[in-house]
Amino acid sequence: MELTGLFFYLVSILIAGGIYALLCLALNIQWGMGGLFNAGIAGFFAVGAYTSAILTTEMSAKHLGGFGMPVAVGLIGAGVLAGLMGWAVARICVRLKSDYLAMASIGIAEIMRLVIVNESWATNGSLGLAGIPRPFGDFVSGRWADLVFLAYVWAVVLIVYLVAMRLYDSPWGRSLRAIRDNEVSADAAGKNIEKFRVQTFVIGCAFMGVAGGLSAHYFRFLSPSATDPLLVTFLTWVMLMAGGSGNNRGAIVGGLGIWTLWSVTEIFVNRLPPEWVTRSSYIRMLLVGLLLQFVLQKFRAGIIPEKSPPIRFRE
Amino acid sequence: MRKSIMLVAASALLCSSALAQAADTKVGILMDITGPIANFIPPLQNAANLAVKQVNDQGGLLDGNAVAVYGDTTGTSQGAVDAAQKLANVENVPIVMGALMSGTTIAAAEAVFIPTGIVQLSPTATSPAMTDMKDNDLVYRIVPSDNFQGDVLAKMVLDEGINKVAVTYVNNDYGVGIGQTFMDAYRAAGGEVVAEVKHEEKKDSYRSELASLTQGGAEALVVVAYAGDSGGKIVKQAIEGGLFTRFVGTDGLRDDLLIQNVGAEALKTSFFSSPTSPADNPAQTTLHAAFNAEYGEGADKAFVDQTYDATFLTMLAIEKAGSADRAKLAAALREVASAPGEKVGPGEWSKAKQLISEGKDIDYDGAGGTYEFDANGDVRGYVGKFVVDGSSYKQIAVFE
Repeated sequence: MELTGLFFYLVSILIAGGIYALLCLALNIQWGMGGLFNAGIAGFFAVGAYTSAILTTEMSAKHLGGFGMPVAVGLIGAGVLAGLMGWAVARICVRLKSDYLAMASIGIAEIMRLVIVNESWATNGSLGLAGIPRPFGDFVSGRWADLVFLAYVWAVVLIVYLVAMRLYDSPWGRSLRAIRDNEVSADAAGKNIEKFRVQTFVIGCAFMGVAGGLSAHYFRFLSPSATDPLLVTFLTWVMLMAGGSGNNRGAIVGGLGIWTLWSVTEIFVNRLPPEWVTRSSYIRMLLVGLLLQFVLQKFRAGIIPEKSPPIRFRE
Repeated sequence: MRKSIMLVAASALLCSSALAQAADTKVGILMDITGPIANFIPPLQNAANLAVKQVNDQGGLLDGNAVAVYGDTTGTSQGAVDAAQKLANVENVPIVMGALMSGTTIAAAEAVFIPTGIVQLSPTATSPAMTDMKDNDLVYRIVPSDNFQGDVLAKMVLDEGINKVAVTYVNNDYGVGIGQTFMDAYRAAGGEVVAEVKHEEKKDSYRSELASLTQGGAEALVVVAYAGDSGGKIVKQAIEGGLFTRFVGTDGLRDDLLIQNVGAEALKTSFFSSPTSPADNPAQTTLHAAFNAEYGEGADKAFVDQTYDATFLTMLAIEKAGSADRAKLAAALREVASAPGEKVGPGEWSKAKQLISEGKDIDYDGAGGTYEFDANGDVRGYVGKFVVDGSSYKQIAVFE
């Protein structure tokens, strides 16, 4: 182990953790604030990832585009298109109650994901998209490019965090919590429940799309193996639950913390005696499961639980 | 108190550095251990371990021992990049053997190994996309691209006198790569594809896919999929429904699991293609004897030869370079793998070490082929034709 190596490993954890923090913030807007059980994160993630990749890669005969646009345009495109898909899905199923919404969203999002993965004229199917640029990739290369990308990812996380905090503290966010906690009384108070829910869903999906776009630029190569629901949808849910649903800081802590746990466990199991080597990867999965059990048992409401913003009155 | 004991224990474990001494050299091994191809992995881990063990028994690597450090991609891009970061930065390996799936191999290369200047040698990644990667001469593989196996499979099928086939392939880089090149080559050579269905993994029933495949009266069903997943289920359900009696499979299907599931009798007219080595390759016999002596069985499993050879080659490259300096390893790998030079085979580490120390050029000819890299880091290969023999497979022909 050398120190520069450890430093760059830390950078890589922070990049991947930042992308998961973004997914958690997005899910927190939907579930933590709005009570919408979106179990189809991988679908919106995939829409965003492929949109950004297609917009930013160089012209290629293998897939739609590429259009060679800057990364920032790609990410905005990812957010817009994922948001639009979110709107379409919301129109269909946002009126469903929580667990039914979960079922519908997991189905629709899987459809979306599989359509993207299969439409090879646009996405080159399972062979994937190569040559996806990193932001400012022309100026820095090699290991140091990871540092630039780290700053880029966390700048996006910061922007989304500020937006999420503003939403949380706004009258809009208070209405959402009212709807989440007691739909009937919010309805009686004259809130247009469906409109609020559609808005929440769209905003969350747009941010999920941005997270997908960032992943594509991080991997530089996008294939269906990047949109595995286990590592996108379900891991994000675990992160938000562990971090504290309803709390934006909790979402970031959960995303970063669980990803670190996920990643670091491998370093430990690699230190097991050589005769364990064929089993060590499974021991790692067991270890991750045990640690999650511990966190979830110990912190039932998450590491940083939800706290309603203080009520301020104008003088 | 308990917490602090745990903390001490954990940090002791972390600092123990995989029992590595100062003079030991680490070799990174990246495999898709958990995930969709998990059932392929145990014999491949044995193959990699065997190579490391032989090196250590015969004089060691450089001035110490070789230590294998594993990374698990979990079969996803996220996991592949994460595991690659750990190998490159925490374990600080000079060279990496792996990964096995094309998607994880390319993601790890693009995001980690190319920027950090680490040579990567995949034993099994067959995606045609790897040929044209801008990789600063860092990414190599010792199996031919899918284009190659698809072409050969088409020839094999026509040689059997089968002129009408139905084709189904799993929708991932492996299935699409071989499936598409097979159909192109088969049609170009005069064969007729009467039905074509792309299918998804991890389903329980493939009866609707099979229903469309039976349209058109094909003489055989070509299945490009894994035996542990969709491929095995498709064959089983086709036999149960009496829809097809003859199957043509690729290396993914050529798994003993298939015979256990449907029985040897039902597969007696079927045949399989798989990357292999020349017909009577003494290097392969040597390796298989050593493998079975160490682990009892499993030397004939798919990709054991390639995984062993790739691991052995990475260590030869380090020995040749004379140090674990990442920058020297690409050139060293090319030198030890390619002619001219004195021939070295599997298990002949002490001979190789001796020759290198004398400053002589060596050429490793492995159990899976002779491995002459072209400018893109690709090799030409051999594809064998296999039929069922009892509870396993036997090779009856080799195509170059």
